[in-house]
Amino acid sequence: MARNAVILAGGQCKWGVREAHIVDLFQEAAKACLDDVPNLKPKDIDGLIVATSYAGRCSFQVNTAPVIAERCGLKPTSICTRCDTLCAGGSTAIILAKGLVEAGAADIVMAAGGEKLYTPQKWEVFYSELASVDHDWDGVHGMGLPPPFFALTAQEHMMHYGTKKEDLAAVSVANYNYAATNPVAQMQKALTLEEAMGAPIVVPPLTLYDCCPITDGAAACIITTEEIARKFTDRPLVYIRGTAQTCLNSVSANFPGAHLADWKHTRIAAEKAYGRAKVSASDIKVAQTHDCFSISEVIEVEELGFCKKGEGGEFCRSKQIEIGGKVPVNTDGGLLAVGHPFGATGIRQGTEIMKQLQGRARHQVKDADIGLTHNLSGANAEHTILVYGRTPVK
Amino acid sequence: MAVLGIPILEDLYPSTMDMWPLEAKEFNRSWQFYENLKAGRLTTTKCKSCGHVAYPPRVICPECYSEDLEYTDLPTKGKVIVFSEEVKGVPLGFDSPLIHAVVDLGVDPARRVLTRIVNCAAGTLKQGDEVQLAVFPVPALPIDKGKQGTIMSERVFFAFEPVKK
Ligand SMILES: [Zn+2]
Repeated sequence: MARNAVILAGGQCKWGVREAHIVDLFQEAAKACLDDVPNLKPKDIDGLIVATSYAGRCSFQVNTAPVIAERCGLKPTSICTRCDTLCAGGSTAIILAKGLVEAGAADIVMAAGGEKLYTPQKWEVFYSELASVDHDWDGVHGMGLPPPFFALTAQEHMMHYGTKKEDLAAVSVANYNYAATNPVAQMQKALTLEEAMGAPIVVPPLTLYDCCPITDGAAACIITTEEIARKFTDRPLVYIRGTAQTCLNSVSANFPGAHLADWKHTRIAAEKAYGRAKVSASDIKVAQTHDCFSISEVIEVEELGFCKKGEGGEFCRSKQIEIGGKVPVNTDGGLLAVGHPFGATGIRQGTEIMKQLQGRARHQVKDADIGLTHNLSGANAEHTILVYGRTPVK
Repeated sequence: MAVLGIPILEDLYPSTMDMWPLEAKEFNRSWQFYENLKAGRLTTTKCKSCGHVAYPPRVICPECYSEDLEYTDLPTKGKVIVFSEEVKGVPLGFDSPLIHAVVDLGVDPARRVLTRIVNCAAGTLKQGDEVQLAVFPVPALPIDKGKQGTIMSERVFFAFEPVKK
């Protein structure tokens, strides 16, 4: 019988500016994860995949997996490792865990991601972000902090497709309002269109609410097989139906699209993930996309096939991303409002899709049976997509 | 020169906190790119086996995996396709305005090079403006040579600047 991977449990700690060490955040996340399925105990877990990118720079800690395993009371016997794909790290950990449990190389894997980015001196995280992109060719030009790159992206979307600032603001408003009642979100604040339109400038055309914050935080989830999951829970099972991770370049000069608002690599990743999941874009009932910037979500709903290319601004402004719309997006508040501790984000997204497909999300999408998560990472260098469903693909 | 809070780093150089590339021959097989910059040339590698020009420079051809490469010149003038200006909140290491532009140098693979624009006042750059290579010195790299002591390896880096009309 085929081993089908499911996401059994998930949780995150409070995200924001945290008075805590990175190992504290991982412990809080591991507890939130196991509290989600109380029958599951640390001793049941035989695998750990840690996703963190900045532990090496901001916490002076490499080889993080054994450190996190020990602090979280885990004694993995099948796999204990770490991955670093920045903003996609958590999703990468879930993809790897799925492969391992389906291959029989592990049975119950915790995928745990986290970052501690606020250091005692405020300049350091901004300086260290030169490493988030290709250091010697983009970081050195001051492209490490992403607002300039996404300001260029937004301008090109506006130039080619007529997108307006109001379209970007609509994304910020939707995602902030989703997060307003989310107790673990960094930004628990309802936002009006007027506030979003009148916010302080970051890099034109991006203003304050167009940009995700810098965030301390961690999240953890459990990937196992359907047979094992049934021993621990009576909830509906949520299968990881198909995944893809596509990287066509790293240096911005080699960006694969015709311009910065043309995301060929997202389309390739989506086609692969949809194919493996045996679904099409029109089957997706709820999505968690990588809204590191409002413009990112506008382009993602296009490239993921939720609307036509160039119509993402209209799609978002006409509330198709909100509950009752065509595809509700970032229903827990997304990166813009929950925050973005890089390695943790994909796990937060997977956990929200699990809850949506089990009918227990805070902002529940009616009859959600197929959901998607998406990340971009680096200078828009890589795209990572997972398709989840209420039934297995095989 | 003391490092605040870390007295043991007095007068020591931590390369992990250096924002500029380790350009010296001892640490970088693409050192010739930086030597060419010192001569005002923007260059990259071309494969002598298959002719593929790659940017940034490589030590193998990404198309045919040949190691037989030579440096070739890229144009040093180009046109601004799109640009962004950051005036407030510019990160450490950069001056305001921090301007970035996608520049078309007119040849593959340099049709859309993302670069910093320097020597340009805020609010003055326009799409379509002509810009040219600007090479500037950056702090020398201190290399520990054992008994010979520490040598200072000169470094430069590049951006683009508006062509004066
Ligand atoms: Zn070649």
